[in-house]
Amino acid sequence: MLYSTFYLGETQMAVPIPCILEIGRSFKFHRVRGAPEVIDGLINLRGKVVTIINLGLAFEEEKVLAGDESRIFIFKNNSELSEVADSDVEIETAPDNIGIHVDRISDVIRVENEELQAVPSNMAHPFYKHVVRRGDSFTIILEPSKILNLHENQDLLS
Amino acid sequence: MSEPKDIKFNIYNPIITYEHRAAYDMIVSHLQEIFPICNQGKCKALEVSDDPQKQKQINDLMEKVEFFSNSLITITKVFFDQLYRAKETSSQSISQSTAMIKIDMIERNLLERTCDVRWWALEKAFWQCITLADDQKKRSKGKAGAKAASATSTKALQEAVELACTRLEDIRNSYTLYRDLVIADIDGTIIANSNGDRRSEVLGMNVSDEEWFRKALETKDGTEYFVQDVSRSKLEDIDSLIYSTALRANGDEQGEAIGAMGVLFDFQGESQIILNDYLPKDEDGQTLQGWFSFFTNQTGKVICSSDESFVPSGEIADLPRNHRKLSNPGEVIVSTGTVCGNRSLIVSHKSEGFDEYKGLDWTSHLVLPESAMFERSLLNEDYGISPQELMNSKLIPDTNKQTYREIQRNKGDIQLISINGIILATDLGKAGTSFIPIFDQITTTGNSTTGKMEELLSEMSSDMLEQNLKALENFSKQAIDLIDRNLFERAADVRWWSTDHAFWEALQEGTDEKFEQASKRLGIINASYTMYRDLVIADSNGRIVANSKSENRDKLKRMNVSEQSWFRQGMQISRSVQFGVQDVCDSELENEETSLIYCGGILEDGQREGKVLGVLGILFDWENLVCPILEGCLPRIKGKVVEGGAAFYVNDERKVIATTDPENFKIGQVVNLPGENLNLDAGESASGIFSANERKYIIGSSKTQGYREYQGLGWTAHVVRPID
Repeated sequence: MLYSTFYLGETQMAVPIPCILEIGRSFKFHRVRGAPEVIDGLINLRGKVVTIINLGLAFEEEKVLAGDESRIFIFKNNSELSEVADSDVEIETAPDNIGIHVDRISDVIRVENEELQAVPSNMAHPFYKHVVRRGDSFTIILEPSKILNLHENQDLLS
Repeated sequence: MSEPKDIKFNIYNPIITYEHRAAYDMIVSHLQEIFPICNQGKCKALEVSDDPQKQKQINDLMEKVEFFSNSLITITKVFFDQLYRAKETSSQSISQSTAMIKIDMIERNLLERTCDVRWWALEKAFWQCITLADDQKKRSKGKAGAKAASATSTKALQEAVELACTRLEDIRNSYTLYRDLVIADIDGTIIANSNGDRRSEVLGMNVSDEEWFRKALETKDGTEYFVQDVSRSKLEDIDSLIYSTALRANGDEQGEAIGAMGVLFDFQGESQIILNDYLPKDEDGQTLQGWFSFFTNQTGKVICSSDESFVPSGEIADLPRNHRKLSNPGEVIVSTGTVCGNRSLIVSHKSEGFDEYKGLDWTSHLVLPESAMFERSLLNEDYGISPQELMNSKLIPDTNKQTYREIQRNKGDIQLISINGIILATDLGKAGTSFIPIFDQITTTGNSTTGKMEELLSEMSSDMLEQNLKALENFSKQAIDLIDRNLFERAADVRWWSTDHAFWEALQEGTDEKFEQASKRLGIINASYTMYRDLVIADSNGRIVANSKSENRDKLKRMNVSEQSWFRQGMQISRSVQFGVQDVCDSELENEETSLIYCGGILEDGQREGKVLGVLGILFDWENLVCPILEGCLPRIKGKVVEGGAAFYVNDERKVIATTDPENFKIGQVVNLPGENLNLDAGESASGIFSANERKYIIGSSKTQGYREYQGLGWTAHVVRPID
């Protein structure tokens, strides 16, 4: 399957291409009064209202700042995901379109199923699904549904 | 980006290097390849999906790719123009300052000569000799008693001539810049000279038809002088530059003119040193082909050249007409043209004199091959600075930074479009897989072309770094050369003054009256210069017996200097060609943080070699002497000193002894500089990058090589500018 890779700080991460609706450069965020800090705001994507999560804050690390290199990954909602043609993969996202704000985008990579390795227990994280090793570098494959359904993680929303 | 306008360096300009033209061809042809790929994508969209929305989305993406590819093609066209313009601007700026440094060096030197001739004309041995010669002439014209008087007067005159020649020789030995010094009587007959090798030819010669002589007699008083521009004189076999002034009755500045003194400056020797400096050399020390440096006079004739075979002296310079006659002092003309058959950059800088010295309307020219402006620097040192950091530094012009950002942005956009394309293709399932190679190709092309452009920008920024480092090296060399040359003059002064009859007579006789006369003489000397705080004479016990400034006299009279370095050095001097130096330090004599003292031994009977009677100490007004020199060597952009730029001298213990920035580079501080800049041999220069005061600086450094017989004091000049 194809994965779109990106960086959060110096860590390379990836999400499956089929669950992405679009990747954008800059959007105007509409801040929502009372929303948790992890939410950068709402954007208007051709009439759709999309909530943007700041991935840095979601990991309880440094906030991703909007800049020349930062990008927004907008995910399909579950219903859009089911319409992807010939899809034989089981991925879930969220009932609504939600986006994540990352530091910078990188390449698209093709990862075979046998390359997907379990996340070592000492670095386990609810957002991590697999790890892929290529040469000396590692790419962490994220579980989009875990990030996008933040309401299940009360700590981050508090 | 709009279509490029005013492209100066079109890619087909012959100055563009082969490598750069190849890079341009590669970038443009790769970008052109994207258009058929996009067309293929548009056709495929119709093939693989019936959904008009999907078709439109793919179509839109392809059009966006085409847009950004077009934009990159446009950027590529201006990109090379900007690259070459940046190199040209930087190179021209260095060449301008080099041409300026050269004319400034010679003007500063010539200012000293004007002081010299006026001061020496007051020497007792000269006016006494001329007076006797005049008396003798009058007697020989008289009829009665002429014969009877002739034996004694002839002997007296002979002795006077011998003394005058000796004193002229003393001057020439102290100041090694002169080929000869002569004195002539009122009729223009040469009575005495300094150069023993030419004495038999010169003595008795009549120079009444020479301009330097006639104009010297026309000077109103001892403050005036005349300079005869480089021209032929019967006194020498080569072109001469002669400074002259009148010798006056009784050595009185206001007295009647009784003769003239002419000093023949070694202009060619001095100019050769200056002209050959700052020219790049090959491994054998030969100046590189196509590089010339020369001075022209107000008629446009070459008066001295770094390469007499290509640019001979005495001929009108082979330069574009506007470079031959510049109108205004300080005017600079920069252009390209053909010189000696080469396409060259020509920089001409007209003299603006120095201080009160107006100069002779000379112009300094620097010629270098046009291609040298755009050559990749041969140095490829690792200064520990990333290309990104360098690109964002102050060394890179804003326009280049803007282009860099634009390329980055386009690269990012193409990458984003490709990934979004792959997302769309994935949505189409198996049918969409045929799109993936198309978008892969777009990404690859986008990356390789923008990558190549980034590489070229990185090349440019490292060239800019090298050029700026070279400029700082030049400034540091200028700074050390100027102080060395200045101190050479002072070393000559102290040696000459130490032989003054008023001083040895005072020490020999030891009377208050003689000490008073010595003080008066010191006062006259100091009034002629601006760079001394005081001049003092200490007797052999270290007691100050005379000084130039009456306001210091009471304080100094109570002082014993026998333990001070300058005095102890001075007491070791037994020959008039020697001198001593107390390097810049806290001074007990002056109670100053930075004091520099030169000393000369005052010898018995004013002999060239003999017993030391006492010491003459000259106390520099250090700050006022050195700060204008350092300030003149600061890096500038359009005449304005760059923010944070600084220049300082360090002594051989690496301590700062003078600075333009006392806040960041303090007197006495040992600045933590790169090893290459600290461990220099005499005459060596180096450059580098270092961090201090929470900033990153580039630095150029030059260690003293002395000047002529002056060895220097082991100092190094450093010139720095921050880049962040």
